[in-house]
Amino acid sequence: MNKEWKMKKRVVPLLSFFLFVIAFAGCRKNELFITSFADAKFAKIGVMTGTTGETIANAKFPDAQIKSFDDIMDAVAAIKSGQLDAIVTTSVTALQVSKKNPELVCLNERLKDEDTSIAVKKEDEQLFAAVDRIVGELKANGTLADMNRRWFKKEMTPYEEKQIALPSRGQILKIGVTATREPINFVDKNGRVIGFDGELARIIGARLHRPIEFHNMKFMALIPALQSGKVDLIISGMTATEERKKKVNFTQSYFLNAQVMLVNKPGVAGKKEATEISSAADLKDRRIGVSLGSVHDAYAIKTYPKATILHYKTPSDIVLANMFVLKKNIALNKEVRVSKKTGEIPSFFAGIANSMQSNIVQENRYLLILEGLKTTVIISVLSTFFGTVLGAIVCFMRMSKNAILNVLAKTYISILRGTPVLVFLMLIFYVVFASVNIDPVIVSVIAFGMNFAAYVAEIYRSGIESIDKGQSEAGIAMGFTRVNTFIFIVLPQTVQRILPVYKGEFISLVKMTSIVGYIAVQDLTKASDIIRSRTFDAFFPLIMVAVLYYLISWFLMLFMEYAERLANPKLNRKPITNA
Amino acid sequence: MIKIDHLSKSFGNLEVLKDITVEIKAGEVISIIGPSGTGKSTFLRCINLLDRPSGGSIRIDGVDILDPKADVPKVRQKMNMVFQSFNLFSHLSVMDNLTLGPIKLLGMSKEDAGSKAVDLLKLVGLAEKAESYPDELSGGQKQRVAIARCMAMDPKIILFDEPTSALDPTMVSEVLSVIRRLAKAGMTMAIVTHEMDFARDVSNRVLYMDDGIIYEEGTPEQIFVHPQKEKTKTFINRVRSFTYHIASPDYDLYAMNAEIETFCDKQILAVKQRYNLLLIVEEMLQIYNPFLSKALLDINLAYSEKKESLEVVFESTGEAMNVLDKNLLSDELGLTLIQSVTESIDYQRLNNKNRVTLILKKQ
Repeated sequence: MNKEWKMKKRVVPLLSFFLFVIAFAGCRKNELFITSFADAKFAKIGVMTGTTGETIANAKFPDAQIKSFDDIMDAVAAIKSGQLDAIVTTSVTALQVSKKNPELVCLNERLKDEDTSIAVKKEDEQLFAAVDRIVGELKANGTLADMNRRWFKKEMTPYEEKQIALPSRGQILKIGVTATREPINFVDKNGRVIGFDGELARIIGARLHRPIEFHNMKFMALIPALQSGKVDLIISGMTATEERKKKVNFTQSYFLNAQVMLVNKPGVAGKKEATEISSAADLKDRRIGVSLGSVHDAYAIKTYPKATILHYKTPSDIVLANMFVLKKNIALNKEVRVSKKTGEIPSFFAGIANSMQSNIVQENRYLLILEGLKTTVIISVLSTFFGTVLGAIVCFMRMSKNAILNVLAKTYISILRGTPVLVFLMLIFYVVFASVNIDPVIVSVIAFGMNFAAYVAEIYRSGIESIDKGQSEAGIAMGFTRVNTFIFIVLPQTVQRILPVYKGEFISLVKMTSIVGYIAVQDLTKASDIIRSRTFDAFFPLIMVAVLYYLISWFLMLFMEYAERLANPKLNRKPITNA
Repeated sequence: MIKIDHLSKSFGNLEVLKDITVEIKAGEVISIIGPSGTGKSTFLRCINLLDRPSGGSIRIDGVDILDPKADVPKVRQKMNMVFQSFNLFSHLSVMDNLTLGPIKLLGMSKEDAGSKAVDLLKLVGLAEKAESYPDELSGGQKQRVAIARCMAMDPKIILFDEPTSALDPTMVSEVLSVIRRLAKAGMTMAIVTHEMDFARDVSNRVLYMDDGIIYEEGTPEQIFVHPQKEKTKTFINRVRSFTYHIASPDYDLYAMNAEIETFCDKQILAVKQRYNLLLIVEEMLQIYNPFLSKALLDINLAYSEKKESLEVVFESTGEAMNVLDKNLLSDELGLTLIQSVTESIDYQRLNNKNRVTLILKKQ
């Protein structure tokens, strides 16, 4: 006992040391500071997977560390946490990011100007001609220029969306889009895809007299989706590169985009020494973030006339504007003692409240989350049912004496277990069901169910084999048929034994469903992606989603434990009293 | 009731049952005894088709159950089995173990099956364990529950496959008394067992099985008291034997002595008897020494647990002669020593071999 305690005493400081080292390493801000392309030679540069930015960055900065991200908000989160020095993205996206994150700016140099076009399937020549003609007309009559003015604005005023009347009947025009790039395309509070591309898609739909339907998916999944006929058009700020032209047709460009580099603003997140604020006096020519109309606002203006006072309309924006701004706010509170009681804690809670406001309340984003939650639960539960039944069939085949069935089952199990679920999911969606118009939720259920089946089949088998043969023999000797022996004697015991492992497999299935975003299913993770793409808040939506996944797992686990009790009568037995 | 003709069973190339013909009549209690690995359990398992026979026929009340059209599960209901390893259904309580069959197979109501189960549990003395689960019972209790479970199906015959072999010696008797009670009640039973005394007083008929056939059969009196055949005798007298081969005068004396001592240890022989045995072997080998270059010598030790007698047989090849013939010995010292510890010395010429049999004195 004593010895153990001594051991613990020794372990605790050691552990704290490690934690400290890890925390320190994690917190270390990068010190590279970029003002021109020349500075970025050895930088860590974030690019979007499958975009031209990726190709350009690789060609232009061969010595840099290029890191690929699926979505812009992930890259923004990375640059904010110091893991990146720069991001290569389109000028429109960069504009939006810097609008929401004042400490990030665009370099004036442009990497490349490029045509943004609508992609149409190669074989679909009729549609191609029609869309190309429409784009030409829109360009000629100034509609595109007008849209450009209304969507790509430097200031934070609301977008002016034009209402376009769409036919409700007719052949649906399916539009592939990656709606995580405000203002090109993004999801609004009603769950509609809007933005420049959104509007363009509606205009095209109206002109073709066809109702439209958006398929919101990962950027890299767009072209496969178009080729396999899952969508008719890609209107997603896509650049018409030579490589893409080989696979799909591009219309004439509908706006000229440029690849630019987004970096930390000098003096904000650059060298540490330069930004360290040691006293209130240091604040005089710095940028100070305040909430519009707060006491801090008035105080800051009075005290630091030379400083840049950044006003934020909503409390959420002040949080979005990154930890640095907040920290300065804290510094303001602490050093100047405007409010004696405010310290880190109230600011921390204020931060949480702000995050809640922007990520959940604003634009009714909780509806998006609830919808995602529902989808996640539906996919999880349905694929578990499907997988459980299919697993039983596979297990039966695996244990059968028939050599053909046996080999089939073995092959099935080894293929499914040896393939990443994501790859399998995309294979099913883009290859197997390529020409079938099928709800991606059903595809997810099939893919996850098949995967689950492979694992549980082996769980069943080990469970059945662990029941000693003597009991089946006793059943058979008593006069039960083989089937009845299995049902009355082997099965109940198998269920008892495999439930603990089965539960684990089930929970990992629930979490595995977080990848369905790849085939345009809007689940919980995708919902958080959409929110992050609007708020650029890395921390809060991720934590929130983590907590929600935990809660789903926990609820489903409770249900499983109930099932376990049903399966094991011994657990429910009243204690026997020895009279 | 059961008529078995020319039954045979092979597992791959291994022929376990060769040719078994036997009839079991209603009310009979038959014990099946014999050395391990001679197919006793396989024979029992063939009767209720847990192992399908390779040949022969089994008729129950005139119906051939090997006929592909026979309703085997229905037949099995009439002849339930008690296993060496109990095989209770571990997910069910004792009560449910007893009622599962009657409810699902005989279509009894839950109440009827329950009250019957209680009666049977009383019979085997375990009524208070009705709500327990198998893993909460001792081995003896499990086996008694298993017997009750068999009875619950109202079988015409119960097959016991070494019902006490997996039990702690202290629990053997509780199970045997239950079986005795059933025997008294007139239950038809076939029991594979190693409990000789039990087999002797419970059964009407004893089958001695050896090497895949019924080697000898008869009443307990015939088999246990007056066995007719060689193997039966060896088995009944519980003879354990050990043979050492000497092929040249340069045999390994120490290794041989060590093996003889190991044999003595196994049979738990007294120190004195062990000493005498080693003395005999040593003196005999002295006497045999001149002939070892020309002859092969087998030393066979046999101990009968039942008679508590120890026998040493020296069997040598070569021309007929008795090494212990006083006329051939250079001195009589060795012989005198041997005579002092033996009860009898016997010489025979058998199968072109010289055979000297010595029986040690009892202490």
